[in-house]
Amino acid sequence: MRRNKVWITLMIIIMLSVILAACTGNNSAGGKISDKDLLEADWSEVAKQAEGQTVNLYMWGGSDSINQYIDEWVAPRLKEQANVTLKRVPMNDTKDIINKLLAEKQASKQQGTIDMMWINGENFNTSQESDLLFGSFTGKLPNALEYVDLESPDIANDFGIPTEGMEAPWGKAQFVFVYDEAKVKNPPKSMEELEQWVEQNPGKFTYPSPPDFTGSAFIRHAMYETTGGHEQYLDELDQTQLESKLDPLWDYLNRIEPHLWREGKTYPESLAKLDQLFASGEVWMSMGYDPARATNLIENGTFAKTARTFVLDGGTLSNTHYLAIPFNAPSPAGAMVAINYLLSPEAQIAKYDPQHWGEDMSIDPAKLSDEDRQKLEAIDRGPATLPADVLASHRLPEIASSYVSIIEKGWTEHVAKK
Amino acid sequence: MWPKSKPYLMSLPALVVIIVIFYGGLYEGLIQSLGYFPAAGQSSFSISAYTEILRSSDFWLSFWLTLRVSLISTMLAAVLGLVMSICLFMLSKTGSSRWIPFWRRWFQLPFVVPHLAGAYLIVLLFTQSGWLSRLAYHVGIIDEITDFPILVNEPFGIGVILAYTWKEAPFISLILYPVLLRIHDSWHDAARVFGANSLNFVKEIVLPLLMPAWFTASFIVFAFTFSAFEVPYLLGVTYPKMLPVLAYESYSGDLADRPEAMAIGILIVLITAVIGVLAYRFGRQWLTASGRGWL
Repeated sequence: MRRNKVWITLMIIIMLSVILAACTGNNSAGGKISDKDLLEADWSEVAKQAEGQTVNLYMWGGSDSINQYIDEWVAPRLKEQANVTLKRVPMNDTKDIINKLLAEKQASKQQGTIDMMWINGENFNTSQESDLLFGSFTGKLPNALEYVDLESPDIANDFGIPTEGMEAPWGKAQFVFVYDEAKVKNPPKSMEELEQWVEQNPGKFTYPSPPDFTGSAFIRHAMYETTGGHEQYLDELDQTQLESKLDPLWDYLNRIEPHLWREGKTYPESLAKLDQLFASGEVWMSMGYDPARATNLIENGTFAKTARTFVLDGGTLSNTHYLAIPFNAPSPAGAMVAINYLLSPEAQIAKYDPQHWGEDMSIDPAKLSDEDRQKLEAIDRGPATLPADVLASHRLPEIASSYVSIIEKGWTEHVAKK
Repeated sequence: MWPKSKPYLMSLPALVVIIVIFYGGLYEGLIQSLGYFPAAGQSSFSISAYTEILRSSDFWLSFWLTLRVSLISTMLAAVLGLVMSICLFMLSKTGSSRWIPFWRRWFQLPFVVPHLAGAYLIVLLFTQSGWLSRLAYHVGIIDEITDFPILVNEPFGIGVILAYTWKEAPFISLILYPVLLRIHDSWHDAARVFGANSLNFVKEIVLPLLMPAWFTASFIVFAFTFSAFEVPYLLGVTYPKMLPVLAYESYSGDLADRPEAMAIGILIVLITAVIGVLAYRFGRQWLTASGRGWL
């Protein structure tokens, strides 16, 4: 009997402590500056407040090279230089981060677990509309002010939406197609050529099914080329206006469908699956919204050494991606310091190096010191990454993120069901 | 007072977890399916999400596919699980018992593999560029790897069924095995005295005793295969999607689609519950008619 009492007491203690832990939450702020005043405070005060803090970076975790860049290159240096501990939390889909924040907002949870997150486009739009962001902080970061061209339209606008400093530009990505030099001599450089190519090589091409991010981007390329260019989509269109323009796109996708992998009866559900089909030789092309990814995948042995990338003659989509701080970040000061470091020439040049990640910088090369520019020029981007000037001269802007889901639903309706 | 309230207090931690996580999630899902979502600025109730779903042909195609795939998987897993556990049991009654632990572990092997990894294994093994296809190609059974039959990502759901059968059969046998262990050695001997061979023994004694546990285990498997996401996501086709994948797709789409995603989730719960009740009703008559078994 006495023994039982011990167990019961223990259980009550555990339960009470769980409840208490759930109720405390906000008491740990205790610092000198309250969160809202951070945006007004001097940078030196922000840096001081950040010292000793641990920040959680929630980000898409599907790339080993990106993960290694954060864990092995950034984290130790940030700890040493600013005494901020950076913890990466991998997510399968950025949307899950937004859903988590929405749920926390719904539950009025004022102290969350996410300090910073990697977002752009649709997810930025959702977080902006649902008030999930901390505030306009980009203008406070010394490195953003010194090295980033904050006025340039492709940085100030995220899929057509003004960022208003709620997120800081971290890098630029561009869509490229991947092919195997040993199997494909002349890769198709337009949607028209692609149509001929799939007819001649039945079953050797496919694209991930939307809502996969990459598959959705592939469809936007086809849309630009089959409906007469991207300019018309920069104007504001309502849903019916947009849908009325898309018929040639659905025609095109249905025309190529019988010549795709599995005769278009099914599509890979993710880019990872397409990569696997490409790596095993079942299809002869892959794609991706990252010009350096093929090089990285060759280096880790996933892709054949003969894998190469190409862009369409009419250009491929490019976008800027950002880092943002959510409304209930436990350590916003630490997050600002970490983001500032990620925008430093040192961190951006390392990110540009294919040994770490290999993607384009968000800072302006023209604003770098001579010494840094030399470092930049000395970097070999690898065999499968196109030269920076080829990429730069083949860039197309993204469309407004509100159009993306209309197009994705249209695809299910007009292409997948047929 | 104390002794009376003790059992309630003792079960409180488990109850708290179930109420908060399970019913809390169900409640949140229900009100969001009715369009109530203040964080996204929607605060009125309506059943439009349900009417829209029940009217769309997409939902019904997905429903029939899901029902067919989960029923077939459940039946295969149930039969296989039953055969596995009875084989193990009869082996221990008749054969040498040295290898029993080995076979038990062997049959339980799929247990340690998570569903996602299991589904991925199926991809690696059974796609046209998979291991089996390559093996067949090198041995010379097929001339091209594209001659290998399409088993994964095809509209019938063969891949999904394979993955579920492989994963759930050990689960069924794990539930059945403890019931079998309660069967006395002497019963086997007694049955033999009355002239029953091993087959009679299984048919007349073992099977009736197993029925209730078998039935329950099969229903658990059905409810799981009807509502789990990762296996059909990896092994299904683009259209029609199985219901859990359809729900996930609308969940990760526009915020405006959230009520629909939740409504699909709620419908999955309702359908499984209804089938559960039906199975119980039907099963009870059937079980009492053939004598009471053990659970």
